[in-house]
Amino acid sequence: MEKQVVMSARKYRAQFLRQKGGKALSLFGVYFFLILMALVVLFPFYWMLISSVKTLEEYRLSVPTFWPRVLMLENYLTAFTTAKLGRLFMNTMIVGLVSTILSLFITILTAFAFARLEFKGKELLFAALLATMMIPGELFTITNYGTVTAFGWKNTYTVLIVPFLVSVFYIYLLRQSFLQIPNELYLAAKVDGTKDWKYLWKVMVPLSLPTLISITILKMMGAWNSYIWPRLVANDDAHRLITNGLRSAFTDTTGDVNYPVQMAAVALVSAPLFLVFVFLRKYIMTGVSRSGIKG
Amino acid sequence: MKKLLPILLVLMMLCSTAFAAGFEVPAEGYDGSEVTITFCTQQGTALQEVTANYIAEFNKLYPNIHVEHTTQGSYDDVRDQIVTDISVGAQPNVAYCYPDHVALYNLAKAVQTLDELIDSKVEVTRADGTTEILGLTDEQKADFIEGYYEEGRQYGDGLMYTMPFSKSTEVLYYDKTFFEANGIAVPTTWEEMEQVCAKIKEIDPESIPLGYDSEANWFITMCEQYNSPYTSATGEHYLFNNEQNRAFVKMFNEWYNKGYLTTQKLYGAYTSGLFTATTGVRSYMSIGSSAGSKYQRPAANADGSYPFEVGIATIPQVSSDNRKVISQGPSVCIFKKNNPQEVIASWLFVKFLTTSVDFQAEFSMASGYVPVIKSVTDNAVYADFLAQADGGDYVAALSTKVCLEQADAYYTSPAFVGSSTARDQVAALLSKCLTLTGDDVDAQIEAAFEEAIEECEYAN
Amino acid sequence: MVNSKDHWKAWLYLSPAIVLLLIFTVWPIINTVRMSLLEGYSGLKAASGASFEFGLGNFVKVIKYRKFLTCLQNTVLLCLWTVPISTILALLIAVALNSIKFLQKALQTVFFLPYVTNSIAIGMVFAAMFNIVGSFYGTENEIVVTAGIINNIIEFFGGSRVNWINYGSTYTANMVVMIVYIVWNALPFKILILLGGLQAINKQYYEAARVDSTPRWRVFTRITVPLVSPMLAYVIITGFIGGFKEYTSIVGIFGETMGPPNDGGRLNTMVGFIYDSLSNNSQGRASAAALILFGIILVVTLINLWVSKKRVHY
Repeated sequence: MEKQVVMSARKYRAQFLRQKGGKALSLFGVYFFLILMALVVLFPFYWMLISSVKTLEEYRLSVPTFWPRVLMLENYLTAFTTAKLGRLFMNTMIVGLVSTILSLFITILTAFAFARLEFKGKELLFAALLATMMIPGELFTITNYGTVTAFGWKNTYTVLIVPFLVSVFYIYLLRQSFLQIPNELYLAAKVDGTKDWKYLWKVMVPLSLPTLISITILKMMGAWNSYIWPRLVANDDAHRLITNGLRSAFTDTTGDVNYPVQMAAVALVSAPLFLVFVFLRKYIMTGVSRSGIKG
Repeated sequence: MKKLLPILLVLMMLCSTAFAAGFEVPAEGYDGSEVTITFCTQQGTALQEVTANYIAEFNKLYPNIHVEHTTQGSYDDVRDQIVTDISVGAQPNVAYCYPDHVALYNLAKAVQTLDELIDSKVEVTRADGTTEILGLTDEQKADFIEGYYEEGRQYGDGLMYTMPFSKSTEVLYYDKTFFEANGIAVPTTWEEMEQVCAKIKEIDPESIPLGYDSEANWFITMCEQYNSPYTSATGEHYLFNNEQNRAFVKMFNEWYNKGYLTTQKLYGAYTSGLFTATTGVRSYMSIGSSAGSKYQRPAANADGSYPFEVGIATIPQVSSDNRKVISQGPSVCIFKKNNPQEVIASWLFVKFLTTSVDFQAEFSMASGYVPVIKSVTDNAVYADFLAQADGGDYVAALSTKVCLEQADAYYTSPAFVGSSTARDQVAALLSKCLTLTGDDVDAQIEAAFEEAIEECEYAN
Repeated sequence: MVNSKDHWKAWLYLSPAIVLLLIFTVWPIINTVRMSLLEGYSGLKAASGASFEFGLGNFVKVIKYRKFLTCLQNTVLLCLWTVPISTILALLIAVALNSIKFLQKALQTVFFLPYVTNSIAIGMVFAAMFNIVGSFYGTENEIVVTAGIINNIIEFFGGSRVNWINYGSTYTANMVVMIVYIVWNALPFKILILLGGLQAINKQYYEAARVDSTPRWRVFTRITVPLVSPMLAYVIITGFIGGFKEYTSIVGIFGETMGPPNDGGRLNTMVGFIYDSLSNNSQGRASAAALILFGIILVVTLINLWVSKKRVHY
């Protein structure tokens, strides 16, 4: 009997050790995997940075160099002065901020209606919304251009903000997030006599903060990268956005682009975004653990 | 929605009535009224400054004509913007254009023909009290480099649609140091080119003697040099599938298989990179844009000298009796408008930029492009610039000089809707055919030509 | 149950979105349908006052195009490969990120970096990584100036060089490059969304699993996946929709030829086809192609929604 107990205790200990070893091994695997993927992800970023300090001659070599031979930090100065970055930056910030705030507001209202309110034709309307995502947007451009011209919106901030306030992508994303909040909470609030409006802003919005921040980032990035539409409707100095400015500032008449300087400009305008992310990451990643709601 | 529909209907009606044919020059010419005209280009920041200076100069003569200069990132962007503008009746007044863009705009009959303006003898009073005639004087007409000027008439109806603005062409860059050291003469015909390639391959078997940047230009230029059909602006459009063209493609296919040449698409990088290389695989000749001469110069040594001297020459020809080199680079066109004063003002502006010696000279020096008028050599600064021409620091001047010397050889190909498709297709066709191997190359080439024609015809 | 007051309220919540959608989405769609039904419609010709006959000619012309099937095949293949690969990879990365402490913040930041890396840079890097610079492959004169980083790595491990994207390359090699590029592009967004979902999972579930000493794999399949299933459904459905609209990534690698130099258009997709038509100012044909594409995506999305309704746990 005793022997058996000792045996099983030993067995248990061995199993425990094996588990611990296995855990260390799997942790190593996790890190290996993550770091490998991180390197893959980082490569283009590294490329952007080294390209931004190359000379144009070196950039055009048939055999790309992995480390610049001459460090052309002047590229950054050239980028800053030729592209009027300050103004481009400010325009983009204005458009980005205003459209993000308005878009969040509309998205929250719409997602709430689809997630919590009952009305006739809800399913059908939602399916129709999803369907609009599926038509290639290029086809909208011409008709929308006619519309905003008729409205007299050309070369205004309005034309950069209003047409894209509604994004079915974000509505869908937020609806998914709202749906995860248990129905019991809503019904309980109803019993308490809490109004929908108050419930939405006091309960649902705080609970969906990670999704809302993700949407904010995506929307801001959208403003940062939008190109075709702004180019068409607001291409004057007072309203030009950053991508447009970057694309056109460094081309010469042959259509050749001074890529190193362009890369320097791209790096310059990416820096604030990067800082914003580092700052916001805490909010995105800590999530809603404090809420105590069972997922 | 209810509100929107009437607006759009009104808009569509406006579009359809806005365009009447031909331009009737008002008896008083420019009446001095306040007009704002938009000028749409692809200029980068440096060139915008040059243009801005000359808009200011123009305003000294015509203070009531306000020019708004808008820019896009590329020529294609300019085209896309204007096509969209035209669809809603909001086209600019003056814009950079390539011939196939104008053909596209002509679908909407949106481009103003210039013949009435060019021939107008109406006197216009400038702000400083002097006068000029609205049209071009005979001296002004004769001052334009002929091939550039004639590009405006490539639309099949003999009417003038565009004015040349700033031009470029293709030139042959060669390693002068190497050519001199080995006693090789610069090839002036394709026959000589083959011999030079063979000789270079003997001296440096590791090399690719010739790099050609643009497959499309190559194909079209060969058609011109052989006088064989490529495309036509009227009737049957796509004429390039003929025996003569298949024969030269076959010839270059043989060259390629001997390792004589490569093109940008086949090489996988700028062929100028091959030409400027000083070690390893390199080329000793490169055919590329005259405006890109700075890319054809090797990186300078530490002491500021260059590893080799760049020579520039006219590209090889089929025969010296029929010299042909392509004419590229932007022209400008004027769009129809309801207010005739806007059209007149646009014309005065276009005329000012294209005939101003100072502007043409300064723009050429800033851009690497060739001026469109011959008298620019009258400009002292420009004459100095040309005098500096060499194969090192002043390679841009050398390239411009070569271009000016071959002024009689420029051609432009017919422009129609689909002419850019033809360009894309012959580029793909040539690069495909170069790499063919095997016993049935002829049959493969024939099949490739037929496929290219089929693609062109689908697009129409 | 549902009273009329609720209806009224719901529409009020929806009104800002609906007004904007009517103007900037529904009206363009109606216009697209109109253009597709006018034979040979071109915006520029319309601007000059030309009129067009009503009919199905645009649809016929699109379907009869000899490369139409190629475009369709490429679009479908790219979707079927890239969506599952990128979703699984993103989920693994998100779960791994969520399970570590040391370096977690740094790695999260790294996986966000592609967002601030401009698309111009990314396209150029990928093309350079796979590009072989040289000429005359397969002949006695073969010259290779540089084989590209990917080939260097393959050769380092004893493999032999692959012609990825240059002329003479195979369709399979082209597709592999496109799949790698598209997956790479899709990863950051998916990681962001899935990580957001993971962070929202209550830690109690995992603690309960630990007490029961449930194996890791079971925790993953029985707890993690079901609890992030709404986010998974989202990335898969939008992934398919985006995948069917693939175009710019191919231009990024192959340029406007949409294929290796010896076979241009080999990798063209439906949206590429639409672009080609638009640049010829054939809006009628482009609209018809867009509506055909729309039909396909609609069917796929309905299938997706039907599956997710059965599988997703809210």
